[in-house]
Amino acid sequence: MTRLRIIVAACALAVIAAAFSGLFTREFEWPLPDGVPLPMVPPDNLMSNEKVALGRHLFYEKRLSLNGATSCATCHVQALAFTDSLARSVGATGELHPRGSMTLVNAAWSGKLTWANHLIDTLEVQALIPMFGEEPIEMGMVGRESAIIEMLREDAYYREAFRTAFAADSDPYSILNTVRALASFVRTIASFDSPYDRFQRGEAQALTDGQVRGMNLFFSERLECFHCHGGFNFTDSSTHADALVQSVGFHNNGLYNIGASGAYPSDNTGLYDLTGERRDMGRFKAPTLRNIAVTAPYMHDGSIETLSGVIEHYERGGRIILDGPHAGDGSRNPYRSEFVRGFQLSAEEKADVIAFLESLTDESVLTNPDYSDPFPD
Amino acid sequence: MLSLISSFIAQAKWALPGKLGTGRCRCPRLLLTLLFIAGCSAPQQDVEIPFEVRFGGTDLSCAGEVDGVALTDLRFYVHDIRLVTADNDERRLRLLGDPLWQNSDVVLLDFESGEGRCTNGTGQINNVVRGRAPPGDYTGLKFRLGVPEHLNHADPLRAEAPLNYSIMHWHWLTGYKFLRAGVASESDGFWIHLGSSRCEPTAGNASGCRAGNRPEVVLSPYVPGKDVVELDLQALVNGIDLEDGTPSNCSSGPAETECDMPFIALGIDFGSGDAVGTPAIFRVGQRE
Repeated sequence: MTRLRIIVAACALAVIAAAFSGLFTREFEWPLPDGVPLPMVPPDNLMSNEKVALGRHLFYEKRLSLNGATSCATCHVQALAFTDSLARSVGATGELHPRGSMTLVNAAWSGKLTWANHLIDTLEVQALIPMFGEEPIEMGMVGRESAIIEMLREDAYYREAFRTAFAADSDPYSILNTVRALASFVRTIASFDSPYDRFQRGEAQALTDGQVRGMNLFFSERLECFHCHGGFNFTDSSTHADALVQSVGFHNNGLYNIGASGAYPSDNTGLYDLTGERRDMGRFKAPTLRNIAVTAPYMHDGSIETLSGVIEHYERGGRIILDGPHAGDGSRNPYRSEFVRGFQLSAEEKADVIAFLESLTDESVLTNPDYSDPFPD
Repeated sequence: MLSLISSFIAQAKWALPGKLGTGRCRCPRLLLTLLFIAGCSAPQQDVEIPFEVRFGGTDLSCAGEVDGVALTDLRFYVHDIRLVTADNDERRLRLLGDPLWQNSDVVLLDFESGEGRCTNGTGQINNVVRGRAPPGDYTGLKFRLGVPEHLNHADPLRAEAPLNYSIMHWHWLTGYKFLRAGVASESDGFWIHLGSSRCEPTAGNASGCRAGNRPEVVLSPYVPGKDVVELDLQALVNGIDLEDGTPSNCSSGPAETECDMPFIALGIDFGSGDAVGTPAIFRVGQRE
């Protein structure tokens, strides 16, 4: 009789335990609206809630920097759609980056990462660049990987979280697993709930009349914006899990034309820096325009301060710089994209286009507590 | 099958007369054939190739200075190491395994001791290549600077020593820094990061890097056991003013004019990345 009771009790406990473990290890689900394609996920780093939670801590972890004061979030601030409002970001040693911080919103759907690098196509690899890169120094941890691993082993949270997130690994504390968790978190930063998205889903009141006029201008052949900033993510460098073609877009938009040679400033030559091909001079990735109203200043080097300035740049078909070391007429850059050829807008039309761009701001991604700093002040 | 082979090897070794690696092999042809079949080669001798750093004719290390010039960094990979006989035959040096510095493909030489103006080293240095080669009268040495192509673009986070140091990773170009070297005077300095560049991802080409930037070093006469390989950093900074107060650097990028002179010293055509001559920075020195 006693034995039977024990068996029954054991079974009941087992059922309860199973139910609880089911709760705690529930499968990861993408919180995406219908119609949004799933992003690509590397087969050796499938999504899990444990990795995402760990990655969120690592994203805000200042001990991943040389000065102990810089985390990923230093340059990627949630309220600014994961940018930092600086023309050019500043690393842990105070070194000025040649380029500005890119938004991380919808990075999971970005076919190529950073401003201009066609070799980097996973967030796992991308995460290594700010951590360990030397030119420029960002977080400054190059050569200090053993210090990172020691920290992860000693910290009570990480000790447990790595073990849980990478349960199959006999020694889960590694740089590889660190970037896997970071990439898993960044993949969840998704924005598909702007007024524009709601308008697309049938909420006619989501956009103002001016924003609708601006949208029609944006998607017109007259302005040509959508050739490079088109598709569900407003960039031609988008991809997803079922994509048949890997779309990669890098464009010279006529920002510079130093000495009428087509040259860009030597620390920001775009894809040319990687390939050494003249035709790649000044070619940068067209960033997503989602949340663009909160990510000023604009362009890879933050050299245009406002959306109004950006529209004037494209209106002219390239920027003219009259004097100084960067003097030249960008509209005559021989490598300029054929879609940057200028147009004319009335003041009202310009205001409408800006109003449309503002409709791409998704308040939910700027405030979602799932993306926020998990560490108490 | 494996155990059969190993038992053959054991017998063959046992049957070999005299010490291994002392001149001609007198063992029966059958045994040699069996050894060959089993994947073994003839008896091997240990070979050590020491490297030493100079600035001009004077020793340079992190701890000291030469004429006001200090070392700030020096780490580089070598691979494809061959000993050359008097008949101009090349014998590959089979690299010994090492938990820190070398595997069967590549060796990391590291003079960054963390002393003086070397500020980001591990505190450990490695100044010797260790391997085995068939016995012979060698009069020359050849090797390539850098990481072999088939390893250069593999996932560095899964790599084993000596490819597992972030300081040598070059994630931006999905490869490795083959050579990182730097010198500084009081108010000026120069550093170089050499690696494959001009890269485009193309089908069927792991890297797509058109500029391999792997110089081939040819040293002759070089007698193993007697000579050392000297690396002269003065030759690397030939043509670079270390006193004009304007620090300069070269990271193998196509727009970097400051790469021109160092690439000549490295024997690399800057445009194509091809090795065009033995690098002037390496020469033969006498073991002290």
